[in-house]
Amino acid sequence: MNVREKKARFIPPDTLIGKRIPKMDAPEKASGKTRYIHDIDLPGQLYGKILRSERVHARIKSIDTSAAKALPGVHVVITAADIVNQRPIGVAKDHLPLKTDRVRSLRDEVAAVAAESERIAMEALKLIKVEYEDLPILTDPAEAIKPGATLIHPEPHQPGGEDALKPSGPVAFTGKPDNIAMRFDYCHGDVVQAEAGSDVVVEDTFKLHYVTHCCMGVSGMIADFDSSGNLLMYSNTQVPFLHKREFAEYLNMDPARIRIIQPSIGGGFGSKLDIYPFEVICVFLARAAKRPVKLVFTREEEFISSPTRQPVLLTLRSGCNKDGTLTFRTVHTLHDNGAYTSWGATTPFVMMQTFSSLYRVPNCDYHTVAVYTNNPYAGSFRGYGNLQATFAVEAHMDKMAEAIGMGPLAFRLKNAHDEGEISGQGMDFKSCGFKDCLTVAAERSDFVRKHAENVKNRNAPGPIKRGVGIASMLHVGGGAKIYPSDGCGTILKLDDFAQVTLITGASEIGQGSETVLSQLVCEELGLPMSALTVINNDTAITPWDVGVHASRTTFIAGNSALGAARLAKAKILAAAAKKFDCPAEELDLRGGCVIKAATGEVLIDLPRLMRNLHFSDKAELVMTTFYYEPPSSHQDKDYKGNVSAAYAWGSQVVEIELDTETGIVKMTKVTAAHDVGRVLNRLGIEGQVEGGVVMGQGYALTESLIVENGVTRNPNFRDYKLVTAPEIPEMDIAFIESMDGEGPQGAKGVGEAPAICVAAATANAIYNATGVRICGLPFTPERVYRALHGKGEKLYLEKAEKAA
Amino acid sequence: MSLKHDIEFTLNGVKRRAAVRVDMSALDMLREVVGLTGTKYGCGEGECGACTILVDGLSLNSCLMFAVDCHGRDVVTIEGLAADSKADALRAAFTEHGAVQCGFCTPGMVMQASHLLATQPDADAETIKRGIEGNLCRCTGYKKIVDAIASVNSAEKQGATP
Amino acid sequence: MTEIEQYVAPSSLEQAAEYLRSGEVTVLAGGTDLMPQSQGGRLKIKRTLMNIHRIAELKGIAIDGGAMRIGALATITEIMRSELVKKHFPILVEACDHFASDQIRNAATLGGNVCNASPAGDMLVPLLVLDAEVELASKPNGSLTRRRLPLTEFFVGPGKTRRGPAELLAGLCIPLPPARHYARFFKFGTRPALDISTIAIGIAGTLNNGALSSVRVAFGAVAPVPMRAPRTEQALEGKRLDLATIDAVADTARDEVTPIDDIRATAWYRKELIHNMTKRMLAHVAQT
Repeated sequence: MNVREKKARFIPPDTLIGKRIPKMDAPEKASGKTRYIHDIDLPGQLYGKILRSERVHARIKSIDTSAAKALPGVHVVITAADIVNQRPIGVAKDHLPLKTDRVRSLRDEVAAVAAESERIAMEALKLIKVEYEDLPILTDPAEAIKPGATLIHPEPHQPGGEDALKPSGPVAFTGKPDNIAMRFDYCHGDVVQAEAGSDVVVEDTFKLHYVTHCCMGVSGMIADFDSSGNLLMYSNTQVPFLHKREFAEYLNMDPARIRIIQPSIGGGFGSKLDIYPFEVICVFLARAAKRPVKLVFTREEEFISSPTRQPVLLTLRSGCNKDGTLTFRTVHTLHDNGAYTSWGATTPFVMMQTFSSLYRVPNCDYHTVAVYTNNPYAGSFRGYGNLQATFAVEAHMDKMAEAIGMGPLAFRLKNAHDEGEISGQGMDFKSCGFKDCLTVAAERSDFVRKHAENVKNRNAPGPIKRGVGIASMLHVGGGAKIYPSDGCGTILKLDDFAQVTLITGASEIGQGSETVLSQLVCEELGLPMSALTVINNDTAITPWDVGVHASRTTFIAGNSALGAARLAKAKILAAAAKKFDCPAEELDLRGGCVIKAATGEVLIDLPRLMRNLHFSDKAELVMTTFYYEPPSSHQDKDYKGNVSAAYAWGSQVVEIELDTETGIVKMTKVTAAHDVGRVLNRLGIEGQVEGGVVMGQGYALTESLIVENGVTRNPNFRDYKLVTAPEIPEMDIAFIESMDGEGPQGAKGVGEAPAICVAAATANAIYNATGVRICGLPFTPERVYRALHGKGEKLYLEKAEKAA
Repeated sequence: MSLKHDIEFTLNGVKRRAAVRVDMSALDMLREVVGLTGTKYGCGEGECGACTILVDGLSLNSCLMFAVDCHGRDVVTIEGLAADSKADALRAAFTEHGAVQCGFCTPGMVMQASHLLATQPDADAETIKRGIEGNLCRCTGYKKIVDAIASVNSAEKQGATP
Repeated sequence: MTEIEQYVAPSSLEQAAEYLRSGEVTVLAGGTDLMPQSQGGRLKIKRTLMNIHRIAELKGIAIDGGAMRIGALATITEIMRSELVKKHFPILVEACDHFASDQIRNAATLGGNVCNASPAGDMLVPLLVLDAEVELASKPNGSLTRRRLPLTEFFVGPGKTRRGPAELLAGLCIPLPPARHYARFFKFGTRPALDISTIAIGIAGTLNNGALSSVRVAFGAVAPVPMRAPRTEQALEGKRLDLATIDAVADTARDEVTPIDDIRATAWYRKELIHNMTKRMLAHVAQT
């Protein structure tokens, strides 16, 4: 049939960008059909369980596994002695999965069992006899740093550096003369001179506490060797390609023989960025038992053994001039590194970005000392040090504003960055909606008027006081170049029915990355969301991506998917141009068809064109690949450089009601304005912000992992208080679209942002309500009540730690 | 050796038998003996609601229930609800309103929501929040979950077919 | 892990009492405390696990003579929704509303809450100020007998009661309140529910001319058991609730309680809360 005889069809322009797009896997999840790691069983699998230390700090004198091995149903019981050449893991390689001569914290893994059932495995654990010899316990980094303190990672005891339990094996850590795990020192400008010239100088010590991820799905892993010795791991890692390489190193295997499949994850939030002992131990068990082994935590084990947020004791000195310009910040922080080093130790990378570049500050000096103790170690957790740093910075913004008699909003606007500025640390703010964030959040919440009114009401009768506080945050929004590559690969395939398969290296951790990537591709190819399938969870299939961290996925995986989609589009339009004898520039893809760009007239539907292409004598399939590396740079050895391709800001106004007779702080409303470059999936991004705000609320008000003398006192939801539904504030969220030039459709990352400044704004709200500044978290009723009655905790950082 | 006991009960509308250890929880029975993994282990202590099921029309935490106590009772899990057309509106609402992120809490939320809607069809947002106070979510901040549940209520009020 | 040898599910109180006579029995009602305690290794289930769910005599809420009888198996939800309870004892409805979560309320029984005897037990404080009595059933000499015990005498220590090993809690009896009866409950918390009490307060009495008589005051989570507060009651009894009286009563309350430091709160703070919240509750009474 002659095409010209058919009535012409026109498709009007439309867009998916900014629309509310439901998450693609939501229907499966709402039906209970999605299989998480806990729901997966392999034929013949055994169940692994770990015996953890009974002591906080002790030498291991002996381990007797004979009774455990004899229990019917037990296949293997392993200790460090059974592992040939056990290699240390973690950021500083100071961490052996199975402990050899000593335990340094209560989560330390001493032995492991693989058995026919979980019950039997747990029975077997009880039969393992360990003899300990106690060592002095260090739980205060200020004590652990003192000369003469017991060394947590000392020289090995046997001559020749041998391990007490495994004489022929290497010792993880050859020992240091002190307990200092890491140091960070940064400076730009001259703070001494700046301080001398400042009209106002303020100083405070802040104490940021232990909280933990509390993913609703507990940690777990399945390890399975096939008959050729290839290793398959079902793992909820957020960095599958990095882990593939690292596991190869730890297991002394060829990385080509390791494959990771990622089941749907029950929450990440940064908890799955490092390799933890349980994962390596699961593989050891599988190797020893020659059967698949599934190892899943109990909730109590999750609380005790999972990495926490980095606790920080921080002294900040800030200065400004009478006219409101910031002059300097000097920061000293003491980090409790715990018994072993994980990602918490590297939070200074992010913290110094905040101190050096949140608001315009011409001089900045930053020092961190991270000290070993017998406490739980910290990992990476949404915000990654930024919550802690922002808490301090924003407290001082209010303090200095008050000291010079300037309004808190005006003071911030005066020092907020503009587009095109480069910060003291070398961060290039190519797109910047900072001032808009401040003004929009303030206007929508009526901040200025409420703030003034609350000050007037501080001494009014009645126990309930209202408070309003503002705080902003700065975080990377276009990846963070801390690994050799910060890139992501995409493979795109269109089949004969114009169904698209998007194969991306980017993992999905509940944040909706699969949906937003699909949205970008569908927008580019003019297809409905139903045309797309995403494959993102198998290292044997997907191209490399560094991982889900640093709020990078929308930006980097998005640009990667866009790159592949654009190549596909070019190929399709070139073929259509040939077929319809017109220039490709005059054509476009829309509504599942090839159209004339100028008029929207349909030339051919895409499925038909695809079949034409495939079954012609050229026999072409449309398959494209693209690897996107963001145009950021590695920081130099002074930590300076444009580490991200884009940066994101957010300002939040928190409103509270405080009962002075109980100390209860109720968060009534949060008004947030986030510079996200461009809103892609409106439904998804709202969900990220709402979830982040409530996580921030927990950090500010309710959550606290209580660790005393190395013991976690509340390893359960009964006493570790997550925010519940009736407690959430009213949320008003606005998006500032600064249209980043590099971002996909102008978008920047937002995954961590909404959690970062809630606590800081809450602290300012409490001050607004009561005139009392509280420098420690969380703002539990008792802490607030004590502060109001002059019984608050006195915080200080010893000069000794600072001088080091 | 642990004592086993035979029970007979109705599961998702179908009568069945199961041999369970006497000290086993209903949650473990559902996941390990029956093989339905939609009901989740979140904490084992009744604090998170991920294990919520319906028993004789009442929602409760299956991790706190003895499996033997299911004998003679009418048990519904998320899988049973998935086959229920009345629950379609609820599930669709969860999807449309963005109430699902990682999805781990979702089965428990949907179970609790269905009980809430059956017993308090006039529930407003505040009542809904109280109604799901026993269900923890770490991803969404609850707002869209409440919106989803409220939307089913108002749709029914307007006479829309679920 | 348990070494249960026998599982029984009697359908009558008589049968249950018979099993109890043989000893070594763990009672299963709602299971909301028994299951986590057993799984967490804090309690070892005895040789016989006895499920009392089928026993009709243990169910129901009814008025009998001048008292309300609440069966031991009445769930928190049933109590909360009972028209009789709403009418006569709104303080109990209030306490139920603060209890755990909907899922737990649907399964947890009043009998279980009372026998568990937590110092912070949510239902116990209002029951104390309502002069509740427990009814215990047993079969010591081959025939079913019941005895009553005031709740004030039932708690011996944290988790410990005067229930004998061969006795079953059959129900609670609460005398119907007189005219002008006032009873209020306060539980401190940052959440409406799903919270173990930091402190709880119950105040009841007959309200006449701005004064409370036949006063009952009870506190939770500030002593080894939920406690009546005789000194505070004395300071309150019959006195006009002016500011001076309220202050004096609040001071007495603060001195009378003996809380401990734990991970939820310090003793000092609990005392402050008792003082401040008693004061606040009495201010409300004065305005009634």
